[in-house]
Amino acid sequence: MAYAYLFKYIIIGDTGVGKSCLLLQFTDKRFQPVHDLTIGVEFGARMITIDGKQIKLQIWDTAGQESFRSITRSYYRGAAGALLVYDITRRDTFNHLTTWLEDARQHSNSNMVIMLIGNKSDLESRREVKKEEGEAFAREHGLIFMETSAKTASNVEEAFINTAKEIYEKIQEGVFDINNEANGIKIGPQHPTTNSTLSGNQGGQQAGGGCC
Amino acid sequence: MNFFRGVMGGQAAGPQPSGAETIQKLCDRVASSTLLEDRRDAVRALKSLSKKYRMEVGTQAMEHLINILQTDRSDSEILGYALDTLYNLICNDEEEEQDESEDEAMQKQSDDLGAQFTEQFIQDPEHITLILSLLEEFDFHVRWPGVKLLTALLKNQGVQVQGIILVSPMGVSRLMDLLADSREVIRNDGLLLLQQLTKSNAAIQKIVAFESAFERLLDIITEEGSSDGGIVVEDCLLLLLNLLKNNSSNQNFFKEGSYIQRMKPWFEVGDDNSGWSAQKVTNLHLMLQLVRVMVSPVNSPGASASCQKSMYQCGLLQQLCTILMATGVPADILTETINTVSEVIRGSQVNQDYFASVNAPSNPPRPAIVVLLMSMVNERQPFVLRCAVLYCFQCFLYKNQKGQGEIVATLLPSTIDANSISAGQLLCGGLFSADSLSNWCASVALAHALQDNLTQKEQLLRVQLATSLGKPPVSLLQQCTNILSQGSKVQTRVGLLMLLCTWINNCPIAVTHFLHNQENVPFLTAQISENLGEDERLVQGLCALLLGICIFYNDNSLENYTKDKLKQLIEKRIGKENFVEKLGFITKHELYSRAAQKPQPVFLSPEQMLFDHEFTKLVKELEGVITKAVHKSSEDEKKEEDVKKTLEQHDNIVMQYKDLIREQDAQIQELKEQVATMTSQSEQMQTTVTQQLSQIQQHKDQYNIIKLKLGKDSQSQANSQADSQVNGLQTEELSQLREDLEELRQQHTLLQTQLSDKDALINTLRSETAEGSAASDNTEMLKELDALRSQVHSQATEIDQMKTERQELLRKAEAVSSEAVSSSDGSLDAAKMAEVESRLAAQTSETERLKEESKSLSKSRVDLDQQLAAATSTAAILQTEKAQLQTEVQESKKEQDDLLMLLADQDQKIHSLKLKLKALGEPVDDEDDLDARDQTDDDEEDDDEDED
Repeated sequence: MAYAYLFKYIIIGDTGVGKSCLLLQFTDKRFQPVHDLTIGVEFGARMITIDGKQIKLQIWDTAGQESFRSITRSYYRGAAGALLVYDITRRDTFNHLTTWLEDARQHSNSNMVIMLIGNKSDLESRREVKKEEGEAFAREHGLIFMETSAKTASNVEEAFINTAKEIYEKIQEGVFDINNEANGIKIGPQHPTTNSTLSGNQGGQQAGGGCC
Repeated sequence: MNFFRGVMGGQAAGPQPSGAETIQKLCDRVASSTLLEDRRDAVRALKSLSKKYRMEVGTQAMEHLINILQTDRSDSEILGYALDTLYNLICNDEEEEQDESEDEAMQKQSDDLGAQFTEQFIQDPEHITLILSLLEEFDFHVRWPGVKLLTALLKNQGVQVQGIILVSPMGVSRLMDLLADSREVIRNDGLLLLQQLTKSNAAIQKIVAFESAFERLLDIITEEGSSDGGIVVEDCLLLLLNLLKNNSSNQNFFKEGSYIQRMKPWFEVGDDNSGWSAQKVTNLHLMLQLVRVMVSPVNSPGASASCQKSMYQCGLLQQLCTILMATGVPADILTETINTVSEVIRGSQVNQDYFASVNAPSNPPRPAIVVLLMSMVNERQPFVLRCAVLYCFQCFLYKNQKGQGEIVATLLPSTIDANSISAGQLLCGGLFSADSLSNWCASVALAHALQDNLTQKEQLLRVQLATSLGKPPVSLLQQCTNILSQGSKVQTRVGLLMLLCTWINNCPIAVTHFLHNQENVPFLTAQISENLGEDERLVQGLCALLLGICIFYNDNSLENYTKDKLKQLIEKRIGKENFVEKLGFITKHELYSRAAQKPQPVFLSPEQMLFDHEFTKLVKELEGVITKAVHKSSEDEKKEEDVKKTLEQHDNIVMQYKDLIREQDAQIQELKEQVATMTSQSEQMQTTVTQQLSQIQQHKDQYNIIKLKLGKDSQSQANSQADSQVNGLQTEELSQLREDLEELRQQHTLLQTQLSDKDALINTLRSETAEGSAASDNTEMLKELDALRSQVHSQATEIDQMKTERQELLRKAEAVSSEAVSSSDGSLDAAKMAEVESRLAAQTSETERLKEESKSLSKSRVDLDQQLAAATSTAAILQTEKAQLQTEVQESKKEQDDLLMLLADQDQKIHSLKLKLKALGEPVDDEDDLDARDQTDDDEEDDDEDED
């Protein structure tokens, strides 16, 4: 499938907060109540549309366990977006956010868009972290914030898509150097030369989309 | 420099210092010299000695060399020498040249040395980090030996070094950057380094893939000319294989990154295959392997399926089939291409259908399947190629009922086409050829056409074979057992037994066919019971399996070979234990587990070609159940039968209940429908009721209007009008009554106000009379009172009249309601009746209430009457009083008049006297003038006030 941009994402956060389930819900639209512990990292991908443009998301879901931390660190540098996930029913996962954030800031490129996610919003009765607290943390550290439920799929699409929108905006503003693939962004194969006579019709449409 | 010359010269002349001594001196120099140049020369000398005196340099200089790497970071030359020296110490490959002259023991010794030095080096993980940081140096003299050294370290102690690199920050990423190096040597050696780095380490493989390895490697392969490229292409392909093999995450990434599409051009090799260099063969071989990794049967079915789909969609499968049918392709490439096509189509209906449609470019065109099968049953073809064709055929039939049907159909009498060679013909030919390998392959191929397909198993029973002239045709099943009993090669018999087991398994009709041949059971029992040699054991086991299937899937349709009879036969002729032991020979065979591992038929030699993968699954499935079936005594069987019977009884009971439930369900359904119609009916009725109600309302309105019109003229007319009404009269009348009542009430209030007015009037009169001033007109008041009284009276009569009228109306209403009930439509149901009745009751209660109200009103009217009477009496008293007062007033008036007369006289007198006095000249005060003066003073004061 042809795409205009390709973004690389990573999903980070404590073990058991639902990172793999979020990815599975996003890529396969299903929920798996019992999920094996992720070993190292797992890959997933999906196509989305922003501003009429096809954007391919390549997502690396990392293991939350401490023992894999050194491995997962290798993925920070090449990612354009990160989903930092905590579990709203477990305060300790919220308390560890600072550590995760420091780690991410240290090893990633400075423009990486970080989306803070309070997962398991369906378990309202067991909630330990208020939505306001998440909002405050995000505000304080300049992150986007959302509460999601991988189980009910609530806000899952939005979390991934809003992150992409933010990256897309940064590209439009010229913040990201799109020619450096190390930033986790790649321009699609058909992007620069759509004026060829062969695909003139489609190229015209593409160009039209670009104007907006 | 002097020292150095001394060392070098010393070797040429004079007493030779031992290598160890020299190295020791050099080490001291490296450690202690303050001059960079001295240190550099010493390290260079160590480098040159490091091959010959590997042991000595390694043991003595390692630490010093590492120190140099840490301290002399600014001088790339010395770093280069140090890295080169370390490489020489650790690497084992450089000995290759000497291998010719030195024996294996020496090689082993050098391997040990390399391992020993590696261990020594990596004792401190910081050393690996140090090398990694040195790779950041752009200088060729540092980077290149650094790459080589790290590669050597990985080769010797892969796991440990991988672990250290994995945990060092950005370690893997930095090594990935080597692929971007513009200097080809470094890039190529970087490839070798990454090959070692990614060996069986999934975590590193994923990071490397994350760092865009697929993109880079595919680019390099394209740049280097794909399969026509050199060893660099090979290295890239090996690295890709490392990254993808058994790594589902990376495979998913590869697929999602649309890299499968980029593999297609690799196989555009065309027909002019004039040059098939060894490198090209190697490259293509690896490329084919890469395709297979993506669709391997060991991958998760979903992952393979999506890769198969995109391989068809991008034309990769089509491209591979072109190679398959091309001429001049080297045999091993052709073989691997067949294997690759096999796995690309395995279990994928679309791809299998496409494969069935592929034709070979022969004249006339033949299906590719036929061409391939020709190779399979051709003795002159290479063994691996025949195995590949068998695999391809198996993959084509795997989960492909359509394909199975097509293959079997080519054997059926109705569809046989005599003019062209068909797959069925080739298989039969192979089945009965003299070549045991062909027999085996054809048997297994045919078995795959029957796998899990009852229809085809039954269809194949219809196949008849023409044997020699003059003899009647024999069924295929018969022919198979005939050959079996003729005692051919083990391979042939194993093949045929596997075919027969697959055929009759789970197919009672085929079992009956098999047992129908009187010779078969004796043959099997003889085979199993005989005490044969080692190489016959497998055949015995398979015979036991076949007999076991005959028992397990027996429908007892043949009297001589019922389940029980066959079991008795085993017990008598073979013995249960013996039978089970023989059955166990299959799984205990050394080649069994090998075949059970993967679907592809891979055999080290043609003789080992005994087991088929799918057949091993069948054995696993049947061994247990057959053992159980044989061990079960006839009593157990009976018990089981009983249990079955009771179960059946239970089933019957359940069935009965089910029927009952079904019946009840139908009833419920019926009732539900009835209810539905009823509700719709009642709804209809409701609407008619509302319609009628609105009609009533209309009538009521009309009645009101008429009544209003007529009411002015005569009430009786209205009553007669009311009589003419039929529907809803009583309500109308009620409202009429209500209105009347309202009127009465108003009149009552009016009367009361009038009364109170009168009271007030009386009061004022009283006060007036008390004051005694201004006599009021009593007669007038009396008149007024009279008028009031008569008014009250008339009103009372009116009320009475109304009462009677109301009474009458009520009576009429009752009559009308009863009339309404009697005249109500017969179709109106009880509900409506009840409703009407309840409404009626409500209305009667209301009329009751109204009656009471009117009663109380009449009472209050009586009260008023009494009050009026009292008022009249007081008025009479007041009248007499007034009369008295009037007379008194008359008298006083008279007196007053008299006094006035007197006053006027005296005034006259005073006036005349004044005039007289004026005339006499006496001054007299004029009272009138004085009065006028006072008047003006007052006015002035008022003005003053206004001004304020």
